Amino acid sequence: MKLSRAILFVLLFIFCGVFFMSFNNSPGFKTTPLKFIVPKGWPQPVYDFKNNPLTKQGFELGRKLFYDGRLSRDGNFSCASCHQQFAAFATYDHNLSHGFNNSVTRRNAPGLFNLAWQKEFMWDGGINHLDAQPLAPITDTTEMAESIENVLKKLNADPQYKKMFTAAFGDATINTQRMTKALSQFLVMMVSSNSKYDRVMRGQDSFNLPQQLGYDIFRQKCITCHQPPLFTDFSYRNTGIAVEDFLQDYGRMKITRNAADSLKFKVPSLRNAQVTFPYGHDGRFYSLLDVLNHYRNGVVNGPTTDSIVKNKIPLSNFEIGQLQAFIYTLTDSSFLNDPRFAHRVLKTAHRSHLHSMSIIININKNSEKFLVPALNHWAAFLHRTLVLQTNYKHSAILISIIGICLCSAGNHQIIYANMRRQRSTVKHCAGNIFSR
Amino acid sequence: MNRNIVFIAAILLVARFNSFAQPGKIISAKHTVSITFHNKAGDADLHLDSSCTNPFGEIFIVKQFKYYISNIRLRDDDTKKTESFPGKYFLIDQADSSSKIILLSTSLKHIISIEFMLGVDSLKNVSGIQTGSLDPAKGMFWTWNTGYVMAKLEGTSAAANTPQHSFSWHVGGYKKGEATARMIYLKLPVISNQAPGIRYQQPGSGTININADILKWFNALHEIKIAGQPFCHQPGALAVSLADNYSAMFTVSYNHE
Repeated sequence: MKLSRAILFVLLFIFCGVFFMSFNNSPGFKTTPLKFIVPKGWPQPVYDFKNNPLTKQGFELGRKLFYDGRLSRDGNFSCASCHQQFAAFATYDHNLSHGFNNSVTRRNAPGLFNLAWQKEFMWDGGINHLDAQPLAPITDTTEMAESIENVLKKLNADPQYKKMFTAAFGDATINTQRMTKALSQFLVMMVSSNSKYDRVMRGQDSFNLPQQLGYDIFRQKCITCHQPPLFTDFSYRNTGIAVEDFLQDYGRMKITRNAADSLKFKVPSLRNAQVTFPYGHDGRFYSLLDVLNHYRNGVVNGPTTDSIVKNKIPLSNFEIGQLQAFIYTLTDSSFLNDPRFAHRVLKTAHRSHLHSMSIIININKNSEKFLVPALNHWAAFLHRTLVLQTNYKHSAILISIIGICLCSAGNHQIIYANMRRQRSTVKHCAGNIFSR
Repeated sequence: MNRNIVFIAAILLVARFNSFAQPGKIISAKHTVSITFHNKAGDADLHLDSSCTNPFGEIFIVKQFKYYISNIRLRDDDTKKTESFPGKYFLIDQADSSSKIILLSTSLKHIISIEFMLGVDSLKNVSGIQTGSLDPAKGMFWTWNTGYVMAKLEGTSAAANTPQHSFSWHVGGYKKGEATARMIYLKLPVISNQAPGIRYQQPGSGTININADILKWFNALHEIKIAGQPFCHQPGALAVSLADNYSAMFTVSYNHE
């Protein structure tokens, strides 16, 4: 009697469990919602969150994809190779970026931030949805040079991705839509709204005199196109630039095939402009000084030149200095260093150690090929820390050359010493780093 | 007591399996209609890698021929009802014979006409990334100027003064003034002494055979020679002309059944 009662209870228990499970259609699928916070006083974002609800799992998958070189044909070019966090996700100190097989892109990589407010993408606005954007660099022969089909194949072959797609979307299906939605989840979270300018606007900080004077000049002479809080009105304008001989890039006209759009390019945001140099759709302006000089002296009048710049913008040397001081208040260092947007490898371990480790691993994998970009990367770090305090172009170049020499000389020794010492641990670490 | 346990267990088991079954749905009599596309070059069946001659005497070989079919709507002659199939997008690919048969389920009893779009409606061109046949990985999507390639005809021809004598017409564009999706309206034929169209006496299946003649791409409304225009890779005037031409390529076939 007791036994049968026990059996009854056990059976009841099991069946209750089974019943419960049958109500839960996809057992084990639970996402953690991520909140998108619209900064106070900002307009509502245009990205359709209903169609792509933000989750921690989707965001993390997006980050992994963003930093994964396998999205390119030879594995060398991730989104992050041209969109570096320390450059507000532009390519630091490059007019044009480097792509597959020693190619060079046709346009200057823009910084990536506040994308949830952006309706059209690329300098010419050819792409009409953030989800569709990553497909352009992935397939462009001068960028990642890969087919979408192959990217999906590579992702499908990786059990880690199977796991992460399941965590984000409920099952292990990997398709273009899911890949791009995950990337978008990562990208829309990149909100840059915590610069000194923002703190001043919130009443938490105050401009110094040059910054305040610069802000006043900005409001008189720049604000029509560079409207706060996004510092762009997203319009396409010909700012009086001449067509570049080699690239023959007529901008917006390529998309609309309308002569009235010849040489028009999207107004870029001024946020984080301090670190996104060089400027312009083809990176023809090395410094802010060059840009401001263009507006007061260099405007070329053509049939489509914007009426605002047609008669040039009068700017004195004094005003240019103040403007620059103001524009530097738009640098959002908390965004540039936000660990949420950093490569997970760099977040979890000591940066420099991992850097040298990954270089050692890369040398093992592919001899010289990886060494040069890695050293350039180092030089860029050096350049950033040393040069940004000064604005003297020649010394900047000199310092970066010295930096590269020092880096290559010093690191060759370190690398080879490390290689000998750590050969046994390399494989172990490689496993750890690349399995993430 | 032992009996009780078995009884309870049995009830629970039955209940458990019942929960798998769909709730009793009353399904109105549904018929299967299969729409079969026959790609042609004039009167002959189209074969990849064999040569054809266009109305200008240009000899060419087709390497790829693909087009989207969407927004299908069937019309019933008796009740004047129509039935549409939103969310159904099909990519017809000459290289994949299974892609050329579209199976739909309909409650219409006497189908008199069919309407469909060659291409993808503008909404799907502006709402991010789609799945299934609309997945950009299918290669019918422009990444640099967002939008679908509605139809694609690629091949080689001695008339094409291009590398490897190749020509390729990728026809797309959804914006005002450059739209390339085309609505096609076809009446179903009269077969012998019967009334026109497909008539279902009882639940069953019927076939609508549609011919798609690639030679219409060259001169249905506008004259487009391979020699003159070997490439179309962006929206605009040429794409629109090609779209005008291909809108005339469909006819209902009488010779199948």
